[in-house]
Amino acid sequence: MSWLFQDSIIARLHLALVSLARYNGRFMENGKVVIKVENLAKTYEDTVAVDNISFEVGEGEIFGLLGPNGAGKTTTLEIIETLRQPSSGKIEVDGLDIVHHSWEIKSRIGVQLQEAGFYPDLTLVELLKMFGGLYQVRVNPIAVLRRFSLEEKKKSFWQKLSGGQKQRFSIATTLIHDPKIIFLDEPTTGLDPQARVNLWDEIRKMHKEGRTIVLTTHYMQEAEELCDRVAVMDQGKIIKIGTPHDLIEELLASGFKRDQEVKKATLEDVFLHLTGRHLREESPS
Amino acid sequence: MKKRSPNQLKPFLAIAYYSLKAQLRNRATVFFGFVFPLMFIAIFGLFGSNSLNVSIGIPADQQNGPVYQALSGIKAVNIVSGSEDELDDKLTQGRLAGVLLSDKGVANPRLFISQANAQQAAAASSIVSGVVDKLNLRVANIQNPPIKLDIEEVSGRTFRFIDFFLPGMIGFALLSTAITSTAFGLIFLKKTLVLKRIFATPTKGLTILFGQGTARLVVVLAQTLVIVLVGILAYKFSLVHGALTLAEMLVLSVIGLISFLGFGLFIAGIAADENTAAPIANLVTLPQFLVAGTFFPIDALPSWVQPVVKLLPLSFFNTAMRKITVEGHFLDQMVWELVGLAVWAVIAYIVSSRTFRWE
Repeated sequence: MSWLFQDSIIARLHLALVSLARYNGRFMENGKVVIKVENLAKTYEDTVAVDNISFEVGEGEIFGLLGPNGAGKTTTLEIIETLRQPSSGKIEVDGLDIVHHSWEIKSRIGVQLQEAGFYPDLTLVELLKMFGGLYQVRVNPIAVLRRFSLEEKKKSFWQKLSGGQKQRFSIATTLIHDPKIIFLDEPTTGLDPQARVNLWDEIRKMHKEGRTIVLTTHYMQEAEELCDRVAVMDQGKIIKIGTPHDLIEELLASGFKRDQEVKKATLEDVFLHLTGRHLREESPS
Repeated sequence: MKKRSPNQLKPFLAIAYYSLKAQLRNRATVFFGFVFPLMFIAIFGLFGSNSLNVSIGIPADQQNGPVYQALSGIKAVNIVSGSEDELDDKLTQGRLAGVLLSDKGVANPRLFISQANAQQAAAASSIVSGVVDKLNLRVANIQNPPIKLDIEEVSGRTFRFIDFFLPGMIGFALLSTAITSTAFGLIFLKKTLVLKRIFATPTKGLTILFGQGTARLVVVLAQTLVIVLVGILAYKFSLVHGALTLAEMLVLSVIGLISFLGFGLFIAGIAADENTAAPIANLVTLPQFLVAGTFFPIDALPSWVQPVVKLLPLSFFNTAMRKITVEGHFLDQMVWELVGLAVWAVIAYIVSSRTFRWE
């Protein structure tokens, strides 16, 4: 009997440690919750896109929603962004209910949509000014473009940009009204390693400015590099939430072993070492 | 709890201003709204000036005698020289109204006509026989023939092709901008998720539509002005009451746009992409371009279709526009046409508000 007793003590200790780590992850800055999702569900006629999920995001966190295609990441994000109506559940952003305060929330959050386009016949400066009008703020277009290394493209049309430049511009539009909370939906999908590393730097910079960032990705390396905590989604459900470190430790504790010994560098490291980290003069896609 | 709706003035101005900029840079808008109408005026202008002439071929060596002299004095007759064989070829191809030979002597001219161009053939034979009859009367020294035709000219504005064609082209440009450009423009913004990105800002759907509509309004006013200006400068188009007529034309253009925008919205709302929109847009616009008095007068159609055709939205617009430009009427003298446009507008907006989808 005594071995069983001891084992359960170890298990309890482990649980306590894990929740402490989660606690640290969740309340990084001052413990304020800025996004609160309770029992969110979204159903379309005969399919369940999001199946009763709950999570919280603390102020100043980078929170990642991970999952395969069709897991419900984008739907979840778009409901929080007030672009879609939830079928049921309660969601608060910055203390405001999304159903009743959608206009107020829209002006408090920055949104980068997956594959969203912009007027093809307007220059980047014109687009930023137009969005300044939509957010009802004054913008300094050149300063915004400079920050995202797009200054020399100021007179280019949106449609003439390369994939990486389009993505950087799309993320630049999230900062126009200086929001505290930013949503990025697959910000680095389809980019070359240099462009991806560059965007990671931009995201870290926005994070250092005290902004809360919620992003979706299906690159696990990206989640590990950037996110304080991640939620793993599959088939509309959240199956795990935690810090990347804890989730890995938990898996290892369960006896998981990689088939191969992990090398000290990855092929991506080799690639970046050989070709350099600087952004390429990208030709339009 | 009450939803506090944000002030929409700045978003409205931003959408209107930048949509206008984008539209003026868009090739399709510029071509259908400005280039095509002016091109059509230029092309139909060429037809218009030639159609009155009757070309009669006379071999160079036979260009003498009283019949030739009388014919060459008629303004509407265009005398074409060449060998007999050449002229014969042109006649059978329908490029000449007739060939006049005096190979059997100037007293016995022979007119050859061909069914290749029946109307011109009839014109040629009546002109030539008229000339011959006149000469015969003179030779016979008959001063007072029993039947004498007096032709008197009634004073009035000369109705020229531009008077018919210019208002039609304003209608063409208007329908293209209001329906085709609006439908394709909105579908493009919808499909490329530009609208979705705008919806992530504190901007309402109606603000987007009003902003876009305002941009189209400016484009349509510019179209009418440019077409009138080119008409005045290049074709001596005249405004019956001067600036007042121009103002009435602009007001009617605005009314027409508001009415036709409903159809553009309807197509943009129901079509998922450009491929489904194209046949619907063509179905709405092409028949109207052909029958609603745009290129040809409605009177030229069989009489049994005219009452139906006159109820088309573009027919109401074209008729009203010609009442202003040709007849010099004022807007309060075309109540029937304005009511017609209003009824179509109400139908279009009701249907599109029930079928419109943002995604």
